[in-house]
Amino acid sequence: MDVRAQVSMVFHLDKCIGCHTCSVACKNVWTDRAGAEYMWWNNVETKPGTGFPTLWEDQEHYKGGWQLKNNGQKDLELRCQGKADAFLKLFYNPNQPGLEDYYEPWTYKYQDLFDAPEGDDQPTAIPISQITGEPIDIEAGPNWDDDLGGSPLYAENDPNLEGLTPEEREQLFEIQRVSFFYLPRICNHCANPSCVASCPSGALYKRGEDGIVLINQEVCKGWRACVSACPYKKIYYNWKTGKSEKCILCYPRLETGQPPSCFQSCVGRIRYLGVLLYDAERIPDAMKVPDDQLVESQRNALCDPFDPKVIQAARKNGISEEFITAAQRSPVWKYVMEWKLALPLHVEYRTMPMLFYVPPLLPVMGKSGDGPYENNKDGFFSGLETARLPIKYLANLFSAGNTQIIEDVLKKLMAVRYYKRALDMGEFDIKQSTSILREAKTTPSECEQIYALTTLATPFDRYALPPIQREEALEGTCNPEICKGSCGLGFSESAERGP
Amino acid sequence: MLDSFLFVGLPYISLAVCVLVTFYRLRHQRFAQSALSSQFLENKQLLWGSMPWHIGIAVILLAHFFILAFPGLWQALVANKTVLYIFESAGIALSMLALVGLAVLLVRRITSARIQAVTTTMDLVILLLLLGQVVLGMATAGLYRWGSAWAVNTAVPYVWSLILFKPEIAYVTDLPPLMKGHIIGAWLLLLLIPFSRLIHVFALPLQYLFRPPQKVVWMDSRHQEGELSLAEAQESRRYFLRAALGIVGGACLLFVGAADKLFRFFFGPRLSQKEEASIMSERLSLMQKTVEQKKYELERQQNDYIFISKLSDLSAQKGKYFIDYAMTPALAFLDKDNLPLLLSAKCTHLGCTVGSNVDADGKILCPCHISYFDIHSGMPNPDSPAKAPLPHIGWVLMDQSGKMVASKTANGKVTGNPDLTDLSQYSVFVARYQKEDA
Repeated sequence: MDVRAQVSMVFHLDKCIGCHTCSVACKNVWTDRAGAEYMWWNNVETKPGTGFPTLWEDQEHYKGGWQLKNNGQKDLELRCQGKADAFLKLFYNPNQPGLEDYYEPWTYKYQDLFDAPEGDDQPTAIPISQITGEPIDIEAGPNWDDDLGGSPLYAENDPNLEGLTPEEREQLFEIQRVSFFYLPRICNHCANPSCVASCPSGALYKRGEDGIVLINQEVCKGWRACVSACPYKKIYYNWKTGKSEKCILCYPRLETGQPPSCFQSCVGRIRYLGVLLYDAERIPDAMKVPDDQLVESQRNALCDPFDPKVIQAARKNGISEEFITAAQRSPVWKYVMEWKLALPLHVEYRTMPMLFYVPPLLPVMGKSGDGPYENNKDGFFSGLETARLPIKYLANLFSAGNTQIIEDVLKKLMAVRYYKRALDMGEFDIKQSTSILREAKTTPSECEQIYALTTLATPFDRYALPPIQREEALEGTCNPEICKGSCGLGFSESAERGP
Repeated sequence: MLDSFLFVGLPYISLAVCVLVTFYRLRHQRFAQSALSSQFLENKQLLWGSMPWHIGIAVILLAHFFILAFPGLWQALVANKTVLYIFESAGIALSMLALVGLAVLLVRRITSARIQAVTTTMDLVILLLLLGQVVLGMATAGLYRWGSAWAVNTAVPYVWSLILFKPEIAYVTDLPPLMKGHIIGAWLLLLLIPFSRLIHVFALPLQYLFRPPQKVVWMDSRHQEGELSLAEAQESRRYFLRAALGIVGGACLLFVGAADKLFRFFFGPRLSQKEEASIMSERLSLMQKTVEQKKYELERQQNDYIFISKLSDLSAQKGKYFIDYAMTPALAFLDKDNLPLLLSAKCTHLGCTVGSNVDADGKILCPCHISYFDIHSGMPNPDSPAKAPLPHIGWVLMDQSGKMVASKTANGKVTGNPDLTDLSQYSVFVARYQKEDA
C-alpha cells in the first residue's frame, strides 16, 4: 500500500450561478501577462456547449488522456503519442489546438477616444489584437457561447450529446424548455496525469506532499506534448515565453493557509477543498477497467482516512499528522465517498481526476402549458424521467455513460429536498418522504449532513486545509533560494524568452 | 592569411565560443531555452515547413557525421555504383525536402503577422544562413561530379586535422568557392548556435525514451531515499557537470599533450648527425662518471683498506680529495709532524663539499655559506653558519712491503713511530675496520 495525499476538490454544480467571478479572480492573479492573455486556468462553461477551447472533449481530434491498448493485455497507453512518434511530434504536433481553437486575445485602442480629430460622430475604440497589434474582427472570445444552451451553433455540437435519442435531443433543445447548467473547470490535478507522462523533457511533475501537478518552467522546452495529452485542455502554451503553463492550484496561497483564488472568490460557495488519501499502487489497475466501471474503481483506489491500517501506511509514507487529520474532516471525502454524490468529470479519459462534481438536479418545478405557469400538481418535483437534462447526457459527462450512477446521485439529491421540505415546510407527508429516503438509499441523519454541508457550510467546513509548511520541509533538504525557481511560476531569473 | 583565418582561426573560435556559451546557457539560463515553437500562432503552413526541414536536415547531418567518422567505410560503400546512385539520389531528395521546408518556414515568418510578433532579427539571420548553407551544399553535390566522394579526400582530412590540432588548410584552399562557402557557413552556424534558437538542438529529449511515465517530486526529507528531490537532483546535476567539466578538461589536456608528443614523434623536425653525436657524447660522459663511481663502490666493497696517496704526495697547503668508506668526500693533508691529517670534507652546515686550499690561518673554506674550518681541530669560525667541527678520520700508514708502520684512530690516538726521513716509502690508507681505542 503506497498511500499518498491529494488536495482535491468538489464543485457543487447545483449552486453555480455562472458569474465567472472565479475566472476573473484567477485571471487577475495569474494570467494577466503577455503571452498568457488567452489562458483561462479557471473557466466556466455553459453545458450543453462546445467549451473552451472549442470542442475540447473531442478526443478523436485532440487525442488527450489514456486509452487501453488494443492488444488485449489491457495496458494503458497515451492516446496522443508513443515513445517513438513523440520525437516526430516535436516538430509538428497534429493534435495541438491552435489559436483559432481558443481565440485571438484583443484589447481596444482606447487612446483613439482622446486623439480622434474633431468630427460629426463619436470616436470609437476599435479592437486590436494583443499579439500583432493590428485591428481585428473579433470572431471568438472567452465564454463565447456563454448561456447559449439552446444554440444550434454551439450547444448542438457538444460531444456529450452522443448516444442521446432524437426525442431526448429535441427535448433538450426545444426552445421553450431549453435548459443548461454551468461547468466551472480548473486543472483536475489528476492522480494519473497524462500530461506528466507525455512531457518529453520531464518538466511536469506531481508534488508528493499534496499532489499538485506543476510545470518546471526551467526544464520545460516548449515541446507542447502536454497540451495535446491533457484531455481537459488545461495546459496552455505561452506563445511569448515558449513555455507551457497550467493551473498551480494557487500553491503559494495553499502554503500560507488560504484557499485558491477561485475558491475564495466563489460567490455561490460551490467549491470545496480537502485532502483525499489514495493508494498509488492501485491506480494502474483501477484505470484499466471498462468505461462504465471506472467511477467505482476510482472510488476503490481512495483510502478511508479513518481506517487504522490506512493511517499507519500513511504515516509510514511520510504523510504528516496534519494531513491525516485534514483528510478525516475533508468535505471532499464526504461528498465523494460517504455520500457518493460527487463524480469525476470524464472519468473515461482514465487520468483519475481529483476534481469532483455534484451533478445539477435541474428539477422541473412547474409547467408552462398554453396558459400561465403553474406548479406541478402531482408533487413538488417531477420524476427523473422528465428531468430537463437527459440522464444520458449527465452520464456522458460524469460517469462514462453509466446512467445508473447518475440516477443514484440525483435520487439522493432529490430525497434531501423532499426530506427538508417535509420537515420545514410541511409540504409533504413525512411518511411519504421516508419512503423516498429509503428508495434513495439514504437516512434522515445523512440528509441533515448533506443539507448542512451544502447550504450552511462556513469557509472552515468548505476548505479543510492542512498546514502545508512546505518551506520547512524544503529547508531541510536544500536552500530555498536555490529551490525557489524550480516549480510553478516562481522565477529566480527574469521570465524572458531566449534568443 | 585570409584562408588561415577562415579555415583555422574561425573553426577554433566557433567551437570554443559554441562550447563555452552553450555550457553557460544550459546551466545558468534555463528559462530562456525553449524550442520556441510558433505552432500555436500558425498551425497550417508549419506542417509543410517544419516537418520536411527537420527530417531532411537531420538525416543529411547524420550522413555528414557518418562520413567524418567512417571515411573508409563510406568510400567502400560508394565504390559500388548502385550504392552510390542510391546515396546520391537519397541525398538530393532529402536536401530538396530540407530546402522546401526552409523556404516555407521563411515565407511563413515573413508573411504571417502573428509569427512576426515572435520573430527576432537572429531568427531571420539563422533562416537565411541555413538557406544559403543548404543551397551551397546542394550546389557542391550537384555541380561537381561525385561530390560525395570528394569529401572523403578533402573535407574529412581537413576536419580531422582540426580535431587533432594539426590544422592543414592545404586540403581546402584549392577547393571551388562553392564548397569553401559551405565550409565557412558551417563554422558560422556553429558560432551562432548558442546565440540563437539553434540551441534547441541540445534539448533533444532522449531521456523520454527511458523514463517512467509518472514523476512525483517530494520536498519532504522523509522521501529522500527513494526519490531524488528536485533540488537534490539539481544539486547532483551541478556536481555532475562540475566533475564532468573536470574530467573533460583533464582529458583535453591529456589529449593535447599526447597529441603534441605524437605529432612531434611523427612529424617533428629530425636531428642532424652532428646534433645526434653531441647528444651521444654527453650520454657517454655521464655513463663514464657512473662507471667511476661504481668502481669506487666496488673497491670499498672488496678491500679493507682504501689507498689514498703516497705520503710524499700530500701537502700541508693543498688537500687531496678522496671518498671514504661512508661514501662521503674527505680531504687528506700533510700534518706538521709529517704524518697524514685526514678529515671529512662534508660541511657540517648543509653538506657542501669543503674547499681543499688551506689559507694563511690554516683554515679551509666551505664556499656555500662561507664557513672557515681549522684543519687541525676541525672547528669552524665562531661566526660561521656551521657550528659543529669537521670530524677527523683515522688513517693507516704502510711501508712498501705492505707492513703497517703506524695508524691513527678517529679520535686522534697515534700508534707506531715510523722513521719519517723518506716520506716516499710510505703510503696512506683508510681502513674499513679501525679499532676504536678504549
